[in-house]
Amino acid sequence: MAARARIILILFAVGIILALFIVPNLPRPAPTPRELFPYGEMRIAIDASNPPFAVATTDDLFGLEIDLGKALADYIGIPPRFVNMSFDGLYDSLKADQADLVIAMLTIDSMRSADVLYTRHYFNAGLVLVSPPDQVISKMDDLAGHSLAYEFGSNADALARRWLRRIAPFETRPYELPAYALDAVRLGEADAALVDRIAARLYLREHQWQAHLNTVTNNWYPIAVPINQPARWEALDKALKALDENGTLDQIIDRWL
Amino acid sequence: MIAADSWIHASVRQHWRWYLRLGIAWYILSLLGAIGPRAPLSPQQVVQTEHPHICVHTRLIDEVWEWKIQRTLQLVREMGATSIVEFFPWAYIEGTEDYYDWEPADRIIRHAQNQGLTVIARMGLVPNWARPRESTLNELPEEAFDDFAQFVADFAARYAGAVNQIIIWNEPNLAFEWGFRQVDPAGYARLLQAVYEPVHAANPAVMILVAGLAPTLEPEGSPNGLNDLIYLEKLYEAGAADYFDGIAIHTYGFTDPPEAPPAEDVLNFRRAELLHAITTRFGDDDKPMFITETGWNDHPRWTKAVRPAQRIQYTLDAFRYAEANWPWLDKLCLWAFRYTMPTFSYPDNFEIVTSGFQIKPIYYAIQDYALGRETGTSLWLPAPE
Repeated sequence: MAARARIILILFAVGIILALFIVPNLPRPAPTPRELFPYGEMRIAIDASNPPFAVATTDDLFGLEIDLGKALADYIGIPPRFVNMSFDGLYDSLKADQADLVIAMLTIDSMRSADVLYTRHYFNAGLVLVSPPDQVISKMDDLAGHSLAYEFGSNADALARRWLRRIAPFETRPYELPAYALDAVRLGEADAALVDRIAARLYLREHQWQAHLNTVTNNWYPIAVPINQPARWEALDKALKALDENGTLDQIIDRWL
Repeated sequence: MIAADSWIHASVRQHWRWYLRLGIAWYILSLLGAIGPRAPLSPQQVVQTEHPHICVHTRLIDEVWEWKIQRTLQLVREMGATSIVEFFPWAYIEGTEDYYDWEPADRIIRHAQNQGLTVIARMGLVPNWARPRESTLNELPEEAFDDFAQFVADFAARYAGAVNQIIIWNEPNLAFEWGFRQVDPAGYARLLQAVYEPVHAANPAVMILVAGLAPTLEPEGSPNGLNDLIYLEKLYEAGAADYFDGIAIHTYGFTDPPEAPPAEDVLNFRRAELLHAITTRFGDDDKPMFITETGWNDHPRWTKAVRPAQRIQYTLDAFRYAEANWPWLDKLCLWAFRYTMPTFSYPDNFEIVTSGFQIKPIYYAIQDYALGRETGTSLWLPAPE
């Protein structure tokens, strides 16, 4: 009787081990698009008040994030539907099941980590140092003794003030607009400009100017998914990686910036 | 097992004094860790300013550390603002019926008084016990009006002399702010009526202010809200005039400069004049008005934002314009001085000081204006040619 009880106990323990460690790790079929997006469409929350990322006209939406949403939906194999709202409603739209994901110039917010999962980033909008090809200034430490142009009152202004306390003096040249700061470098009034990557790319494209861009700060834009949808997060993250690797993401960015 | 026990017992017997000292040291260190930085009151401060209508909207109620409240209010005072608007949620203070936790409000009022600042209090947010299940914090059912009135009266009595104006609710012309229900000017008028007498009985000197209405063009019947001009008219028609002593206004410049002319179908800074005209039409223009939210945003991409340099210029021009042209205006309060935490989006570009206490150039520009130190020299270089 005791031997039988021992065998039952051992079998029970083996069962527990199988249930806890082996079964969950068995390969499972990838969820279908319909399982990932139960409404039969990819409902993408956007804030169409941020050109060139998302803009609304009376009957249309366009911009980098609109194209990205379409490319992701196409890759996964489900039609997209864009839900336009203000920033205040973006995260709540996930909680209220009004959207499946958010693509809206979001920055990773640790205070939201209990509610959402963030994918890898699709764009880095941080500050860059822009310098001419014949006199490259690749990092802030190299500014000592040079002149730096930036937009007055911007994040670049704040960062320049901080760096003034860290390294040997450099000349600060505040301008009213980021385009003027970039003009100053292009026309030889300043050695480098500190602007965000979006302003820099738009300026370089407009002026057909081959300047050097070096990242100073990171401001990554990821996609947000409800925390209770890890499979959806995984599928979107993989899709974003694939779009990055096959060059689609760069094409979209180049189209708008 | 027995051997291990013996070893432990022997060690304790031999070194018990050291174990005791270690225990006491651990206890003292754990107490120190829990205390955190202190925020003792400084000697009584006085605001230095040439423009006493300068005011800012703070967001201090969610601040965890008292020293951050103190530092924020020091910066407000040093900038030259005389007043703050601060939110005191009912749900935070009376989370359980008849049980009040005044400490979060006390420490704000204490430090504001210490810095020589006056406080305009905004009241709202309904505790669970006073609203229906599955409702939002902004849904105040009519049967809870008296409970809310009692809370406001208790608040007014507690902070008599420190809080001279109390704003009843926030933007009730938005469905979101009215508990996702159809907005109801007559219902809001009844709320003002319920509050008015108990609060004045508790503190005769305090002024009841109509809530700042959201600047919006939503037409009648919209599920989202109602045009602020229409809402104010309906409020008067509902007989609310007898139940408030002043008017709070929300007016934003968006992309227009402050001098841009107002129009009924335009949202800009001088929309305040259209609201004032309604008070005149109803014979109520002797009551003071307080702009409790205004300002410009300098986010680099948001379509309703301006550039940082424009934001500074427009803000200073708004102060000058209001002082020169609006004798009926008591305070002009900028949204927002500093948030407790960043939003990581365009709302952060309304701040004057960041949540991490980084002071933006607009702060120094307002300070120079407040102290009469404006030199007239440009803050930025001319465009390169």
